[in-house]
Amino acid sequence: MPTLKIDHERCTECRMCYLACRELNLNAVYVALEPLHRLEIDPHKCTYPVCTVCLAYCPAEGSIVEAESGRWLVPPPPDVHRWWLKPVSV
Amino acid sequence: MHSILEQFLEKWVWPTAPGARGAPFRLRLTEEKCLKGWEIALQSSLTEIEKGLASDNDDWQRRVALGGYAGEGVQMSIKQMSAQLLSVDLNEQERYIDLQRMRARQVWDECKHSKLHVEVLMAKGWIKNERELTQNPVAHTQPLPAYFGLSMMFPHIHPLARAAQHYFVEAIACLGIAAYLHLVDDPMVRHEHLSQRDEELMHFMEGKYKIDTYCTTPENQKPVEDTLDFLLHRLRVSL
Repeated sequence: MPTLKIDHERCTECRMCYLACRELNLNAVYVALEPLHRLEIDPHKCTYPVCTVCLAYCPAEGSIVEAESGRWLVPPPPDVHRWWLKPVSV
Repeated sequence: MHSILEQFLEKWVWPTAPGARGAPFRLRLTEEKCLKGWEIALQSSLTEIEKGLASDNDDWQRRVALGGYAGEGVQMSIKQMSAQLLSVDLNEQERYIDLQRMRARQVWDECKHSKLHVEVLMAKGWIKNERELTQNPVAHTQPLPAYFGLSMMFPHIHPLARAAQHYFVEAIACLGIAAYLHLVDDPMVRHEHLSQRDEELMHFMEGKYKIDTYCTTPENQKPVEDTLDFLLHRLRVSL
């Protein structure tokens, strides 16, 4: 299964992903014990691609990537995002 | 629909977490209410910028920077924070020291935004330093009762009303920034807007997330609908 990681060159540390992940009680996004206290994603707890909540609410383009391919997942590309909610008339 | 709005919708509005129970409500509101407001606001920004670019000089940039300073700077911050602090009776203030600390930090945050406008004014040679602006009434005059109007009128607005405000108004801020980046080459103007872009989008996402997550019942949806009606009324948008 592919996994997610945070690109610290692009992440603004706004913590939207942390908040959304915590709300679902997945707790895969955590504040790392390192001097800059940056956000990281625990691949053992993250359920991507089943869950994509962090991708839907992240405001920093390219800041969450697929670890294996380096592919940008913010904003969520069509094949990752569930487009079923998009209004038909727009 | 303008391509700027179309792109904004595709990238940031439509993507929604599967299973977000408030999302159908948000998407319905977006279609029924927000889109028209966003289109009008974007068009207004584009027209204003085009008018400025067509003028003989860059004085319009000075006016925009001074207006930005007035809208985001010291005067606005103090007005907004005072309203929120004074929503607690003076005799009760000492019991709410956290509120005072939070608002004090927010004054600091808002005043940092205004520095961006100062950078433009200094780089263009219109002022030598920020202190000069204390003597300039234009740098402290704005038509709104407070930031976006809501805060001053309702110091303790419903948390989800704040989410609606974030969702609708911060999208307008994002679209305004995109309009500047689309039309203006001036590096200082671009710098001013680029450096603000992430924060506005983050606020938009806060609103989007809160509506998607918490607006799941008619009771929780009502404050959002009411707020949008109020904001659209202020924009003179009839649906």
